[in-house]
Amino acid sequence: MFASEIIRHPDGRTSKVFRVGQGPLVVWLHGPRGIRGSDPVIHELAKRHTVVAPLAPGFADLTELDEIRNVHELALHYDDVLQALGLDAVTLIGHSFGAMVAAEVAAHFPRRVARLVLISPLGLWQDQHPLPDMFGQVPYMTIDTLLWKAGKAIPAMADPADEPNDPVERQVAIAQALTSVAKFVWPLPDRGLRRRLPRIMAQTLVIAGGDDRFVPASYVEEFASLIRGAGMAIIPDAAHMVPYEQPADVFRKLDGWIRAGAFSDEAEAASGQKMRQKVKG
Amino acid sequence: MKFHWFHLMPYPYLPDRFRERYPSVWVDLPAGEIYDPVKGHQVYNDYLDQLEFAERAGFDGICVNEHHQNGYGLMPSPNLMAAALARRTSKAKLIVLGNSVALYDPPTRVAEEMAMLDVLSGGRLVSGFPVGTGMDTAFCYGANPATLREKYREGVELILRAWKTRKPFAFNGKYTQLRYVNPWPVPLQTPHPPIWIPGGGSIETWEWCVENDFLYAYLSYWGYQSGRPVMDGFWETVERLGADRNPYRAGFLQFVGVADNDADAERLYAGPAEYFYNRCFHIGAGYYSPPGYSSVATIRRGVNSAVVQASKHLRTTSVTWKHLIDDGVIIAGSPQTIVDRLNDMADKINVGHVMLLCQFGNMPMETVLYNTARFARDVMPKLRDRFSEHEDRWWPKATVEVQKPASVSIAAE
Repeated sequence: MFASEIIRHPDGRTSKVFRVGQGPLVVWLHGPRGIRGSDPVIHELAKRHTVVAPLAPGFADLTELDEIRNVHELALHYDDVLQALGLDAVTLIGHSFGAMVAAEVAAHFPRRVARLVLISPLGLWQDQHPLPDMFGQVPYMTIDTLLWKAGKAIPAMADPADEPNDPVERQVAIAQALTSVAKFVWPLPDRGLRRRLPRIMAQTLVIAGGDDRFVPASYVEEFASLIRGAGMAIIPDAAHMVPYEQPADVFRKLDGWIRAGAFSDEAEAASGQKMRQKVKG
Repeated sequence: MKFHWFHLMPYPYLPDRFRERYPSVWVDLPAGEIYDPVKGHQVYNDYLDQLEFAERAGFDGICVNEHHQNGYGLMPSPNLMAAALARRTSKAKLIVLGNSVALYDPPTRVAEEMAMLDVLSGGRLVSGFPVGTGMDTAFCYGANPATLREKYREGVELILRAWKTRKPFAFNGKYTQLRYVNPWPVPLQTPHPPIWIPGGGSIETWEWCVENDFLYAYLSYWGYQSGRPVMDGFWETVERLGADRNPYRAGFLQFVGVADNDADAERLYAGPAEYFYNRCFHIGAGYYSPPGYSSVATIRRGVNSAVVQASKHLRTTSVTWKHLIDDGVIIAGSPQTIVDRLNDMADKINVGHVMLLCQFGNMPMETVLYNTARFARDVMPKLRDRFSEHEDRWWPKATVEVQKPASVSIAAE
């Protein structure tokens, strides 16, 4: 497992935050499968970065959600976390549900987030392209067929509960994770984020798998078009779980984007359109 | 022991090869493709006739319940059916095992309609407050499963407070805020009709029922043997919390088919039973337990609800009459067979309120009436004295003489 710390919110609640690696700091907001002890994405990121990865409320204990009633309070929750860690103008990288949260944080607190990476983000609904129901999947509560290109999780993410790996605890882990996601996306993942995306001031890169059967390309394009100056990168041979399926490609793209200026003052001053061209090139 | 006649109101024209052709009887079964409202007109009227017949046959209560977007439950509003029954019945109690309180904003709507039914029926209402299945609540009504139970509890609390207080108050809840709570009419029964909670094996519901003295009704579709772990869990909770083991605290649902003998029962009831279990209970596996619907404690205890069991039983195999009889899912045969089995059920799970499905699947009208009449005539009297030493505190207490519908007119000028 990664090193972790418990941070305290102003109202007394606590949150668990993992920290690993060295280098420029990035904050990772995980998707619906949570954080595994052997999480390959965090390992990959940690080769070049200090990775700070808060565990989303509810994933370890559903009572953590009791007083987080909506996405606005969820954004406040993450603002508390960043405040407690003394992090400002951060690089925020989110995947799937975590990307929706990252976008909410960047829209609610535009100055808190300098760079934003949204990988396969949830948070919009398009009537012309209805999303499949991630909670009505068969077999029961098995979202893997929808999320992964191969229809099943890679070995490192196959076990939803780290230890002990018993069937009931696996079921509990899945239920806690999906309940935590469901609270903010049931019955449709649209809580008005579309109206808030133009508030985002961060330099933004949207990444998606080219074979995502869950969130189609039109959603990725709408995210990129509503966030001022956002770049977009499509990773081939990957689905919704793109950072796990093609980690090398994702982080090569990410590093290229960062090297191209995302961590330099010059780039922060550069226009978004320019960033977009660089990524596409 | 008390006996109640329970109608699910299944649609009796679900097509052949249903399981191969449609993924689910519930949630997304295309309404316009399958439901014929012309046939539906007769179906509703036949079903109401059957419920009214049950009163005349001598059943203590007649039960309606609530389902949404469901091919085996044509009562999205049980209150409408209970209202129709209130006018044409006078003795049977009206056991309304909806309303799923969390689906109604504000929940005082439920307080209003239930009170209307209680007043209209002359104080014959049993007020059922189910959470509602995951299909009904989360998938069909878009209720958030992560907050469903908390919202439901808050709604029930509001309704009961309104009925007990009976004067205006403000309610500042997590899910409902009202400046003026003051529902009209008030129920005829004081402080309110008996509260029955249909449950499916959630641990928190057992404790809640005992603490509030609500009746716990387990609506199992799988017979009392397979329902036993749930009822044992309930009675363990009753003892742990120091309440009495009064059998009238509990209700149980049972399929029944009365005939002259086993062979006769098979001839009469096998078709409708197989229709019910193979078509009506063909529920899409993705729908039966949305995340958050079952608490972590309930998952750890490993108690599955009736619908979860259904999906496990039925996902791959077709159910046959032999299976239903051998597994005790349906109790069928001669009156003596049924008396013996219901006595065994009373011994094993200690329930005072037995809800009987004498109609199931696509059972023809004459078979329904035959089954109902024979149960009332040949079975009920032999079980009447069971549990007579206990007081039933979960039953409407008559306070007024029920006024019959009158045919009124004015003299021509």
